[in-house]
Amino acid sequence: MKTTFAQIALFSSKLNRQHLQLAFAVLAIAMLVLGIGAPGDGGANPH
Amino acid sequence: MILLTAIAGGLVAGLLWARWQKRSYQAPDLRSTWLVLVGFVPQLLIAYLPATHHLLPNWLAAVSLSASLVLFLAFVWINRRLPGMPVLMTGLLLNLIVMAANGGWMPISPEVASRVLGEDVRNVVALGGRFGQKDILLPLQEMHLEFLSDRFLLPAWSPYQVAFSAGDILIAAGAFWLLAKPTANSNQTNAE
Repeated sequence: MKTTFAQIALFSSKLNRQHLQLAFAVLAIAMLVLGIGAPGDGGANPH
Repeated sequence: MILLTAIAGGLVAGLLWARWQKRSYQAPDLRSTWLVLVGFVPQLLIAYLPATHHLLPNWLAAVSLSASLVLFLAFVWINRRLPGMPVLMTGLLLNLIVMAANGGWMPISPEVASRVLGEDVRNVVALGGRFGQKDILLPLQEMHLEFLSDRFLLPAWSPYQVAFSAGDILIAAGAFWLLAKPTANSNQTNAE
């Protein structure tokens, strides 16, 4: 248990503000691009 | 899928470029991202979640899709000074225009849709019916602005088939550019 907490603490110390900002920006761009793009791959149609 | 590939490619190119330049990679400084979060909700319900795909009547789904595109347009306009955004905005406008001209859906012809499916699409979807996430199956003679519709296909040898529009190409190019060459907003740059 102690080791797990230590590992989480180590991981969070490596995650700085810049990483979070990048993850959020990529997520926002992915949502934007999926929202405004309209390629047709027939994905939602039953076969 | 092709759009997400452009994002992944842009991110990898940007990271490699930053490494080459011996600088840290800087994420694009996006403003008003809440517009994207709000605009994506109807898209998620109407286009991407199979459980809710056919929940709304078609007319309401089409109106909601158009409304979300307007929100996305506002977001892109606010961030228009970022690299790639003008290209992305042009793609958005092309898709918005052709969708508005065809009842709020992206038109696709039975011929192109059949190439995507690998079988006659009319066995699966009736003319005028929804195809995929945001497309509507329309014969060429009933289609408005056909040149902006989902009319392009990947090469026949590709195992994954998808139809895409001129707007989609510009959106993919803009997203790639945005992530491959991110810089701070001009105001922030001036302030530094």
